[in-house]
Amino acid sequence: MRTFRLFFLGLVGLLGSLLSTALAQSNLTYELRIGATRDVALLEEFPESFAGEKVNVTLANGGYTTFGTLETPDVLKPLDFFFADLPSPALTAWGDSIYSYTDAEGVTWTVWRTKKEVKNRGQKVFRQNAYTVFETYVQDATSAPARSTAWLGWLCAGLLLIAGIVYAVVLIIQRRREKNLSSVEQEILRRKRLGMRRHYGSQLYLWLLLLVLYAPIALIAVFSFTKSKILGNWTGFSFDLYLNLFTGKADAGLNSAIWYTVVIALIAAVASTILGTLAAIGIHNMRARSRKAVSLLNSVPMINPDIITGISLFLLFVALGVSQGLATVCIAHVVFCTPYVVLSVLPRLSRMNPNTYEAALDLGATPAQALRMVMLPELWPGMLSGFILALTLSVDDFGVTFFTKGSGGLETLSTFIYSDARKGGLTPELRPLFTIILIVMLAVLIYINIRNSKQEEK
Amino acid sequence: MNKLVQIFSSRRTWAWPYILFMAMFVILPLILVGVYAFTDIDGHFTIRNFAKFFTHSEAIQTFLYSLMIAVFNTAICLLIGYPAAYIMAQEDFKTPKVMAMLFILPMWINFLLRTVATVELFNMCGLPLGEGALLFGLCYDYLPFMIYPIYNTLQKMDNSLVEAAQDLGANRWTCFWKVIVPLSMPGVYSGIVMVFMPTVSTFAIAELLTHNNIKLFGSLIQDYITTTDLLNYGAVLSLVLLIIIGLTSFFGDHDSKDEEKGGLV
Repeated sequence: MRTFRLFFLGLVGLLGSLLSTALAQSNLTYELRIGATRDVALLEEFPESFAGEKVNVTLANGGYTTFGTLETPDVLKPLDFFFADLPSPALTAWGDSIYSYTDAEGVTWTVWRTKKEVKNRGQKVFRQNAYTVFETYVQDATSAPARSTAWLGWLCAGLLLIAGIVYAVVLIIQRRREKNLSSVEQEILRRKRLGMRRHYGSQLYLWLLLLVLYAPIALIAVFSFTKSKILGNWTGFSFDLYLNLFTGKADAGLNSAIWYTVVIALIAAVASTILGTLAAIGIHNMRARSRKAVSLLNSVPMINPDIITGISLFLLFVALGVSQGLATVCIAHVVFCTPYVVLSVLPRLSRMNPNTYEAALDLGATPAQALRMVMLPELWPGMLSGFILALTLSVDDFGVTFFTKGSGGLETLSTFIYSDARKGGLTPELRPLFTIILIVMLAVLIYINIRNSKQEEK
Repeated sequence: MNKLVQIFSSRRTWAWPYILFMAMFVILPLILVGVYAFTDIDGHFTIRNFAKFFTHSEAIQTFLYSLMIAVFNTAICLLIGYPAAYIMAQEDFKTPKVMAMLFILPMWINFLLRTVATVELFNMCGLPLGEGALLFGLCYDYLPFMIYPIYNTLQKMDNSLVEAAQDLGANRWTCFWKVIVPLSMPGVYSGIVMVFMPTVSTFAIAELLTHNNIKLFGSLIQDYITTTDLLNYGAVLSLVLLIIIGLTSFFGDHDSKDEEKGGLV
């Protein structure tokens, strides 16, 4: 009981701290939306390595403007040329001044020169110059009053307070009513209540957790039914994004990213299933010591975080002088998928009768025939689950792909989303795409669940 | 030809292509990280890169900060995830499988997209992006990794031990701390490893969640390694990360070996 009470207290504390953050931010206005920030900290430190690089400042509506090309190591002084290419009116003043112009769609763009403070353990460690582009909604800025967030805090506080009062009243009424009961009856009632409280408390906890986990996903799903370019901006119900997605009207980059993701996942999954199954058969027939060694080798890519796998492969390809592209991404994906295939095939092998393969050979089958007709039928469930695992791992991967895709314009969905998000806005068609994926996964899970429970009944 | 057939009819050799492949694309690249760390741009041996790391205050601070964030995130995931796993593993909990699936389902949505959606959620609620958003996002991404192993161990736990403790007079509190928690430690260890390792090496998420205001070690490595002239220094940073990962995996290996095998195979 004390655990739960403590835990409840902790939960209240957590809510309270959230609340106080919300309240502290209550004078925050909403009309400014950060588009993109060009990080120039590196630029200051190693200017020579940036020579020739194009500096893009990205606008929140997905487009971006190239402000100029860095040529000299001396980049700090001539930063004015960032703004030289901007459409008129030109920049009026320096310092923390603002440049702003209104584009054809009536959206005002504001460029701020800001000093950003990168925080480190609460101390200001270094300052960096950053150029931040804000998109200003003219309508919002002028007509709509600044949207305050205090209501959220007050809502939470009010709900908590009401819940507390109701709970206290119920408790008092119960105590009154039970005064005349015998102590045994009181004890029974107390235990019953305790059990109920525990039950509802734990249910509430899980569902709250799920609510938080699913809130961002729900946001994607809900906003897949509106045409707005910016997530969180409701412009009326429409199926346009779905139509765009299926008729290929979506961004060309997105279409090719989907295509590449599928191709890479299929190649990687097929290759790693073949390689992994053969390897599993080999490992299974090894002596204990070498089996241990190979298992250790097998676990290395699984332990390695993807950034390490990605960087190490990147260094390998650099050292070999291989130009990076589709082939290198596929190899990289096979590297981190195969261990999982091996692990899903191995238990199948140990359940198999070891003599059937030998028997097939004795009866005149070639090893290939024996593999195909004797081993495969036994192994395929393991291979299938390995294959599916490899598919999902490959589709979901970001870190490894990021470092091995090269600069030839190859993008998978993950890297596409990343570069999109860095530009400041998501391609809107991503929303319906992932809503569909979520629904399909949900359907598959429900199907598996129903099938399992039916099997249990039998 | 005959000899070749003979070699390959022994099934032990079927793992050779895989071993070769792994040696080429796993072991060799890892060695290369070390090689690049100890050479300069022209390929000469040097330890200047290391010297630079120890005097480069930004790198050191970012490194320490990332470690701290990872520790915090792991602790938060444990605090939130353990009760959830515990509740799901209770005998009278009716739908543990559905619940477990519900917790894993979000992982099928691309984590970058979820991160962007989290940012939008924060924007909509008017919450500031910063350390809080970073921790929320990290916890949100890695919580299932904590819940699942703990749930697995708790579920496999022999319930008669708990009953025995209760029969011998332990109250719920004692029973929980003296029986259930020690028995669930393997799951806790592997949960800690599974959350800590990706958090400490995370990149991309941090910059999205904080609008580039907070830089984690992973992003720092990314910055250097993708800049041609600074590749060797990036390799040094990767090596540092690799060492941390190695240490963590030893920590996990020590106690959770059987558990991990049971979970994965």
